[in-house]
Amino acid sequence: MRYLLPEIIVAGGALLGLLAIVGVPKVRGLASWILLVALLAAGIDAATMWNVTPSLIVYNSMAIDKYGIAVTELVLLAGISTLLLAWNAEYFGEEFPVLVALSVLGMMGLGGATSLIPVFLGIELLSLPLYILAASRHTAEGGEAALKYLLLGAFSSGILLFGMALLYGATSTLIFVAYPGIASHAQVWLLWPGLALVVVGITFKLAIVPFHMWVPDVYEGSPTPVTNLMAFGTKVGAAIILLRILAFGFYGQASAWGLLLGYLAVLTMIVGNLLALPQTNLKRLLGYSGIGHAGFLLIGIATHNIQGAQAMMFYLLPYGLAAIAVFAVIRLLEGGPGGEDRGVTLTDLKGMAYQRPWLAMVLTVGMLSFAGIPLTGGFVGKFFLVQAALFANRPGFAVGIVVGTLVGLAAYLRPLQAMFQRDGVSERVRTMRWSAAGVVVVVVAVVGTIGIGVYPQPLVHIVSQSANFYWLKGG
Amino acid sequence: MMINYVVALAALLFMIGAVGVLVRKNPLIMFMSAEMMWNAAALAFIAFARNYHDVTGQVMAFLIIATAAAEVGIGLAIMVAVYHRRHRLDIDEISHLKG
Repeated sequence: MRYLLPEIIVAGGALLGLLAIVGVPKVRGLASWILLVALLAAGIDAATMWNVTPSLIVYNSMAIDKYGIAVTELVLLAGISTLLLAWNAEYFGEEFPVLVALSVLGMMGLGGATSLIPVFLGIELLSLPLYILAASRHTAEGGEAALKYLLLGAFSSGILLFGMALLYGATSTLIFVAYPGIASHAQVWLLWPGLALVVVGITFKLAIVPFHMWVPDVYEGSPTPVTNLMAFGTKVGAAIILLRILAFGFYGQASAWGLLLGYLAVLTMIVGNLLALPQTNLKRLLGYSGIGHAGFLLIGIATHNIQGAQAMMFYLLPYGLAAIAVFAVIRLLEGGPGGEDRGVTLTDLKGMAYQRPWLAMVLTVGMLSFAGIPLTGGFVGKFFLVQAALFANRPGFAVGIVVGTLVGLAAYLRPLQAMFQRDGVSERVRTMRWSAAGVVVVVVAVVGTIGIGVYPQPLVHIVSQSANFYWLKGG
Repeated sequence: MMINYVVALAALLFMIGAVGVLVRKNPLIMFMSAEMMWNAAALAFIAFARNYHDVTGQVMAFLIIATAAAEVGIGLAIMVAVYHRRHRLDIDEISHLKG
């Protein structure tokens, strides 16, 4: 029980939040406060478990280790930032914070999964609230985004489930950490198609290139705080569980899947960033940028060494912080009710550098971190990925990272260029208002991004401890 | 052996579902086809569970059924919301977002 306390706190908070909505409808925003406190408490509780001895619980289907705790902290950060970005926005509906917390609960479950049952339940618990959240704005675009997300989500879950069924048939167990011991007498004709279907199902969720088409539409149509959760939280969940399944269950066959995933990753980075180039809608640009970043994350899995696992784990935090910073800027520019109906475009940024220098600085830090400029967290993350690719003796991956970064640089500089245009100030920049919750999010994101870029050693230390999760098979 | 026939049937259902999602235009039919893929997986789980005399496969089948029910509830609500705006359901016409 002690080990699942963060999950229990979040689940309890969600139930309490529902009760508050029904029981005390007069106090608006009570559920938001309850869930904010619950997510913070879960984060503190998970942090106190940091020195836990790694072990398997719940009949070997969940692992308690530093890796899972680090994932918990990351997704809680995504959840808290989402709650703050939607703070006091009553047009999302009272149930908004509860659904966010349930989605975060699914991501937390994915972090510790060592059996296919929590993988499936985690992915579904993550997705189902997001379908509702995507449609929570009651507009044509919101409905369309939710419908596309739902259909693609159900389709990819179907592929994932059938793959799981084949893996179960090949090995007679759902606990994937036990697969290496069984692989020698598993039924190979079921094992390989099963693995292929599972990987395809998860890469759909992660938006790797042949399966990426749904991302920009869903990102553009969903409300901005929800897009923030999708861009940060679901990427963490999907990348983490893909690494766990492949690195624990199939490390014997790493030479086969490593190279294939590496080529997909390089393709994803280049295609995602190329498609980001002509975008004028900021959220759509971030959608394509998210595809590109999924490619960077996949490199960490494809190299299949401990440096790769560490680099991917490291990369998630600067990526998430930069995404939070940029989404916060979009959210502040959108303003109050009705402001979201028209997406924030590049022309809306006109004159921001002179009229709103602080907001412009936030956007600059976020975009430069996405692009991987030195002194931001994104640079350090990309540096470690290149290092991991070279350690794995795959110089092709390293070249792919560099090319992808260069293409991305051009895409991320366009908003900055729009911001520095001198001819007039856009309506949105002039009428924009700071909100207290927005300031908190922005300060944390900017300080974090620059802090990781300037002084990465503490985070490197934490990550190298957390990604050292090979205790399950060796000992 | 019986298991091969059952798994072959599950694979056939899975293929029909996947093709249905890819070629049909009506979101309702596409959603139905996706649910068919889920149920094909549940069938395969049950077949393997019986073959191995192992209960976890059956547990998984129950979880699939329960989750599918939740997903259908949400999915139909979203489709009703979209239908209210357009009074027609065709995935090619629901294309406001592009680029």
